Amino acid sequence: MADFLSGAAQIFTFTTLIFMLLGSIAGIVAAAVPGFTVTMAIILTLPLTFSMEPLQGIAVMLSVYVGGYTGGLISAALLGIPGTPSSVATTFDAFPMARNGEPGRALSLGVWASFFGTIISTIVLIFAAPPLALFAVRLGPWEYFSLIVFALTIVASLVGSSVIRGMLAGLIGLAISTVGTDPMLGRLRFDFGIELLQTGLPFLVVLIGVFAISQLVSEVEDADSVRSGNALVTGTVDFQTWKVMKEVLMRPVNLLRSSLVGVLIGALPGAGGSIANLVAYDQAKRASKHPENFGQGEPDGIVASEAGNSATAGGGLIPMISLGIPGSAVDAILMASLMVHGIAIGPRLILDHADLVYGMFIAMVVSAFMMLFVSVCSMRLFLRVTEVPKWLIVPVVMTCCVVGTFALNNRVTDLYLLIFIGIAGYAMRALNYSLAPLVLGVILGPIAETNLRRALMTDSDPSLFFTRPISLIFLIAALVSIVWAIRTHLKSRKTTERESDAPAS
Amino acid sequence: MKEVREAGEIARLISYLLLLLASVGLFFTANAIPASRFEKLGAGAFPKIVFGVMIIVSGMAIIDAVRKIPRSTYGDFGRQTVAWARRRYLVFISLAALTAYLLAIPVLGFSIASFVFLFGLQLILMPRRPKSMIVAVIVALVFSFGLNWLFAEVFTVFLPRGVL
Repeated sequence: MADFLSGAAQIFTFTTLIFMLLGSIAGIVAAAVPGFTVTMAIILTLPLTFSMEPLQGIAVMLSVYVGGYTGGLISAALLGIPGTPSSVATTFDAFPMARNGEPGRALSLGVWASFFGTIISTIVLIFAAPPLALFAVRLGPWEYFSLIVFALTIVASLVGSSVIRGMLAGLIGLAISTVGTDPMLGRLRFDFGIELLQTGLPFLVVLIGVFAISQLVSEVEDADSVRSGNALVTGTVDFQTWKVMKEVLMRPVNLLRSSLVGVLIGALPGAGGSIANLVAYDQAKRASKHPENFGQGEPDGIVASEAGNSATAGGGLIPMISLGIPGSAVDAILMASLMVHGIAIGPRLILDHADLVYGMFIAMVVSAFMMLFVSVCSMRLFLRVTEVPKWLIVPVVMTCCVVGTFALNNRVTDLYLLIFIGIAGYAMRALNYSLAPLVLGVILGPIAETNLRRALMTDSDPSLFFTRPISLIFLIAALVSIVWAIRTHLKSRKTTERESDAPAS
Repeated sequence: MKEVREAGEIARLISYLLLLLASVGLFFTANAIPASRFEKLGAGAFPKIVFGVMIIVSGMAIIDAVRKIPRSTYGDFGRQTVAWARRRYLVFISLAALTAYLLAIPVLGFSIASFVFLFGLQLILMPRRPKSMIVAVIVALVFSFGLNWLFAEVFTVFLPRGVL
């Protein structure tokens, strides 16, 4: 109790709260700009925290972290471009909802889902950190590979209008992930002697090119609409704060399920928000009584994606606090910030620095409230984006994408890649390929390959994938998922055929 | 409308063919990657699985598309494609402007290249009114020189300065 109070006393100081508020604003703004990620915002914050007390520094970074997971939804809803990789699934329903004239409701749903997702993940973090962390580190490469096989079955939910083109898009994503240095032994693959390809195709450049550039140029397809000065989104800009809060709370199962998916995926080292939002969306769609509404502005889709990605913030802290293993790049930076202050992260952290750990839990909750406060106060401002005409916003966001791409690795060659990927992305969009499976393929490809090869390096017997219980469970889940997807697809095809036959008869 | 849809199907068929050709070529490239003596699977194994599946799926897509498209529509494909591209001329202008901008950054530096790109593209897309022109100049200045200053002074991230 004394440690808890000591942690609380350190968080609830005026200076810490002000810094956390600034951190929350910085996180939201950084993530709202396409091409800038939560990780980049945290890295930029790191040097500023060196002069602070350890808990104060980590609280500020947590507020950037939590704010950043929400900020990504702003450009996802208003521009149709995921602000961060963790808001890819948010674009599926938030953007159509905004386009249908309800941008305020789309943002509000996302903000509330993010808030509850963070709170639920913090509760899980407090009570389940040690057992969950022990479970997560017991998973070997066999279980990881089987988990990724299961995650790849999500493609079935993301295929859009054509299953075959969705599968091809997923395979293109996997193929993109094989370019460059191989993840195990560092051998060059498919570089064809071109220096540009030797480092591989960075995930963020692919994301920006495929989603942002293709979306932006597709905005100017209709010359008359652009020239008349039309805005991207028209409709009510009312944020409907309390009404939407009730609407989100009326979906407790979805909220809880998506948050738990986020926590579990966040707790697995190497996974994170970029996968959690897609898995949570997939689960919500499968569980829904109206899966056909997904992709057309379905509130459940927004709630699932945003609760899922925000819950990874708490989930990622589980292995970090319990075992000293960072769950994601952001957690690694959080660890670095503590190590700068001479605090060793490891299984003894909770014993040696209990006040710090309790302080982190409190900081997570405070960050969630800060994010909510900043969002409610600033969303009217963000919603003004909807009034900006296309002729202005398209070139400006393109420039932001270029800056984000360059700042990622300080490499001019990444800019050349952006051109190719942007043009290819637009071609795919024009040909009606679903782009989400491609992104999923790029994310999951390296994890799948590394674990497949690692498993067979450890033991060349492939039957271990089926004899290790957790691995088998994941593989059975993958099989069930595929059967379920085929059944749903056949059912929806039958319904479509019946509907198209009806007028004729 | 039906012709447009069929032209789209032909365009997709071409994309499947290109994917099939690329995946066959890359499958053999992956096959040529020597295996390591340290592991059962080499660096080429995973790509071979991916490209192998891609060959099968794109093959299925081609068969499905060929079955769907009536033979009579192939002759009209060129005309439909040109008409489609004409309707979307601003897309091609925007992509060309972006390409020129990205190629110009290492030479002109971020600030100048961005200013020219931002002002130029806004000029092409905007309804030409004096107020819009003033807004365009201000926006171009803020997001070129202003952004460069912000990154250099606040974040100590230096955007390309160019060789001029």
